[in-house]
Amino acid sequence: MKKYLAVFKINLLNSLAYPAEMVTRSAMILLFMWIFFQLWRITFAAAGSDSINGLSLHDTMWYLLLAETLELGRPRLARVISEQVKDGSIAYLLNKPYNFLVYQLSSGLGESLPRMGMLFVLGGALVWAMAGPPPDLVNWPLALVALAGAWLLHFCVNALIGLAAFVAEEVAPFEWIYQKFTFVLGGMLIPLDFYPAWLQTIAKSLPFAYMMYGPARLFVLPDMQLFAQIIIGQLLWLAIFGGLLVLVFSRGMRRLAINGG
Amino acid sequence: MPAIQVTNLTKTFRTKHKAAGLGASVRSLFRPEYRNVEAVRGLSFEMESGELLGFIGPNGAGKSTTIKILTGILFPSGGDAKVLGYIPWKQRQKLAYHIGTVFGQRPQLWYHLPAIDTLTLFGKIYEMEDRETRSRIAELAEAFEITDLLETPVRKLSLGQRMRCEVAASLLHKPELLLLDEPSIGLDVVAKQHIRDALRDMAKKENVGVLLTSHDAGDLEALCKRVIIINHGQIVYEDKVSTLKRSFLTSKLVEVRYAEQISTSFHIAGTETLKVAKERYGVKLRFDARTTPVEKVMAALSAAGTLLDITVSDPPLEEVIAAIYKTAEKSDADEGRNRG
Repeated sequence: MKKYLAVFKINLLNSLAYPAEMVTRSAMILLFMWIFFQLWRITFAAAGSDSINGLSLHDTMWYLLLAETLELGRPRLARVISEQVKDGSIAYLLNKPYNFLVYQLSSGLGESLPRMGMLFVLGGALVWAMAGPPPDLVNWPLALVALAGAWLLHFCVNALIGLAAFVAEEVAPFEWIYQKFTFVLGGMLIPLDFYPAWLQTIAKSLPFAYMMYGPARLFVLPDMQLFAQIIIGQLLWLAIFGGLLVLVFSRGMRRLAINGG
Repeated sequence: MPAIQVTNLTKTFRTKHKAAGLGASVRSLFRPEYRNVEAVRGLSFEMESGELLGFIGPNGAGKSTTIKILTGILFPSGGDAKVLGYIPWKQRQKLAYHIGTVFGQRPQLWYHLPAIDTLTLFGKIYEMEDRETRSRIAELAEAFEITDLLETPVRKLSLGQRMRCEVAASLLHKPELLLLDEPSIGLDVVAKQHIRDALRDMAKKENVGVLLTSHDAGDLEALCKRVIIINHGQIVYEDKVSTLKRSFLTSKLVEVRYAEQISTSFHIAGTETLKVAKERYGVKLRFDARTTPVEKVMAALSAAGTLLDITVSDPPLEEVIAAIYKTAEKSDADEGRNRG
């Protein structure tokens, strides 16, 4: 366990090697949140109501902040593994005495945590100024647990796409498709509550809702029943994707072709 | 027990083939064509523990692929291999505790962080006690003269400095076997010498076996006792480095400096005159010691004028290895013609 903690730590240090760069890069969330606020302010005004399907403008903005933080802050593992296969540096990662997948998990967490923290603080400051204070602190623990589950689900799917590089090498198209699904069916651009009932049913039966909508919705409108549903859904999808990941990794190793000999 | 045992090892890569042009690109979407590339073809050899073995070959000969199979990163297509008693591709993690690797063209140190951070991380990964890691880092820092470099971000180090840190990192956990894939690539003469000296000393002190691939015959001469030369995934030569030099280093290079100008038509029968310099009265020639006696050449050189200086040397090992490649390629071609 100590070795994975050390991997986490060195990734954390690496992320903090250029603090100014991290702040600048994270600052793009300000633009996104400002655009979202303008869009939703007009939408709510046009609807002539303080809430749409139970969500107010304030709820919607804090929902979107958490969803954006997760999307922009999660590790780009598929791209990372694909680059490692292309430039051959994966050779160094595979010949060390650790579990490669747990290594990637610790590494991704070390890279992701400071970035997510910075995104949330910067974006949160702007959302606070535009839409009002953050949700009550009692809402946070449930959202954090669901956030951890969502992050793990993203990790599994991203790692699966990354492992496709063992065979296909170029994985950008797969990642692009996956990202668009999380945008639309995960509720990243529009909270799923705003969709028609039939589309909500479809979206909530797919894994994407557990990767984005679940924690964001719990953050603004906590509900124990919803929490239980989300955690059970996350555990189910984690079992499926986690199992698949282990299987694909062991099969993929047989087919790995490293560039440069 | 040998450190490495390889029997009939083969590795075939399946690569997609596409002709040039838009039409071919579209066709390959529907009917992709694949070609099998045999990177390693029936390789068999052994290496004793503590041995320093050179693994030499041109680009694409299969050296790096073999090393990657021996570290467990690649699965072979056929054959067997055991490294320190482990089957690498089945017991990759267990084997990793006992071997160190350097892939000269790829960095393993964290680029934006000081080397000490990577070394400390490796200490944790190899499950070493913190105190043990610290004392080992100090020992390696002294051996590779990197004490002053350890706290500088790796991106600010020169290639030579970085490579010294890379090799030191591969030795952190006191491996029994080092697999070095082109450790001196891109380095200048001084940096190469630095790494060779430190490696040789460490290998001797700790009885570490070294399997080294390189394009540089200097690495081979400086570090290895035995050499395997491979081409097209097969062994074309296997013997002691000293035997290689004796068998193939039959030609001699002679450089002479005279006190006065000698005739520009200077020539000694049985030798090839490479240069007659007017300015410093120098002469450079080459001859085959099997057909032209050294004594005869020396006598003729002495008779031509007053000698100030004379140097006799062997041709560079690169030339010898190139000659072996050519011989192997010629026999391949002959074999192909006979089959055809």
